[in-house]
Amino acid sequence: MSRLDRTHALRLLVAWAVLSVVGVLIAMQVHLPPGDQSTQATDETSLLQLMLIISTPVFVGVVLFMLYSVFAFRQTRGAALEDGPPSYGNFRLQVAWVAITAVIVLILAVIGINGLTSSAAETNFASSQSALATGSSATASGNRLQVQVIGQQWWFTYRYPDFGGVESAHLMLPVDTNIEFHVTSTDVIHSFWAYELGVKADANPGADNITYVSTVHTGAFTVRCAELCGIWHGHMADTTAAVVSQADFQTWIAQVQKDNSDLHLPPYSPIYFPHPPIKGS
Amino acid sequence: MAALLALFAGFATSFVFHFPPTLTAQPTTVGNGVTIHLETVAAISDAIAFPRPEDPHPDWVSYLPTTVLKVPANSVVTISIDQEDGASGLRNPYWAKAQGIIGGTFHMSYFDDAGAPQVGDFSSLPDPTSLGHSFAIPDLGVFVPLLGISDAAPAGSHNEITFSFKTGKPGTYRWQCFVPCGAGSIYGNGNAMSSFGYMQGTFVVQ
Repeated sequence: MSRLDRTHALRLLVAWAVLSVVGVLIAMQVHLPPGDQSTQATDETSLLQLMLIISTPVFVGVVLFMLYSVFAFRQTRGAALEDGPPSYGNFRLQVAWVAITAVIVLILAVIGINGLTSSAAETNFASSQSALATGSSATASGNRLQVQVIGQQWWFTYRYPDFGGVESAHLMLPVDTNIEFHVTSTDVIHSFWAYELGVKADANPGADNITYVSTVHTGAFTVRCAELCGIWHGHMADTTAAVVSQADFQTWIAQVQKDNSDLHLPPYSPIYFPHPPIKGS
Repeated sequence: MAALLALFAGFATSFVFHFPPTLTAQPTTVGNGVTIHLETVAAISDAIAFPRPEDPHPDWVSYLPTTVLKVPANSVVTISIDQEDGASGLRNPYWAKAQGIIGGTFHMSYFDDAGAPQVGDFSSLPDPTSLGHSFAIPDLGVFVPLLGISDAAPAGSHNEITFSFKTGKPGTYRWQCFVPCGAGSIYGNGNAMSSFGYMQGTFVVQ
């Protein structure tokens, strides 16, 4: 390595180090989705934050090297066009960049898989037999709650098996509770997406799709359909969903039970199969 | 290129010409507020109050005369519907309950199973399979079940359902029927249920 090369390398290294530190400090201030209303959302937010922090020095390095090369090694005006020296590869450099990239990707994979598996384990539902499987209507004890999400063209409704299978057009969840969502559909494929809770699950007719959320902060959130399901798919969104305090939830569910008193709902079931399949046949 | 432009112009023109006209609510004769009169039919060719002979789908179920409704903001809207179609039944019986309407009940003059005329106020329909259609504006929380006409009712008769609700801030809201009533399609969700201007439309509050 010539003296001139060493100067270039030193300049680049110092600039990269300084800009990376600044970049990471900025990256740590960026507000990232989906938020902190549930432990799952918090996990996703911190994983995104980690990815942003790791990728910032890489981004700075690539852009800096490109810009430095453009300006430092540009052809002087009027000089004869001349090719650079031939490059035959650099074994140590190749090993280093493959190894560093592999380590970063593997670390992220481990953290990501850990986050995915713990989202179910955190709720304590994974090891216990659910009330749905036994067909009994369990009471909401130990801060765990089952909620059934029913997609239909074009609105989601919610049944609460722990409270006699009552149904509501709006989703209310108590705070500090492990929620087990059972997502299904009565017609076509929808997708239940509670963005701020960090949860999304497909709603298939004839299938009981289970997903978990542990609520930690109160606040409003939005439920959207995330699967193109027909003419009003774009309007299949409930902006009044909320995580509320335990007391508020009890008041609300009591009102829902009262409102449901003159309804004739079918017995609670994991699926509701459309019948007949062809209308008017 | 010219052919493509012509094709596009053709689509655009046919879309504009087929876009349902707007029905502006009329002031009520008593009190303040506005009123809208609609009709639901088993087939457009059977319409009594609002015939639409030029419709390309005379055998589809539909709300008539149109499904683009315009009402003033922050006002009381009273909708009365001539329900002439038979029962189809709900897939989710939850929609048999009226929600978001003033007093929690709707007024209905109807024919019972024996074909005798009846009148009453209801908050829900006891039998979810008795619904012909429903009127819902989900974003305003308005859901009203419409009883299917009894088989024993005299020919050419209808159930009349009347209800009121308040509109809030201006905006364009969608409204729709929650009874899968698109006869001849898979699960009843096709044709009239999935085309604008038949079993759903927009509710323009301004």
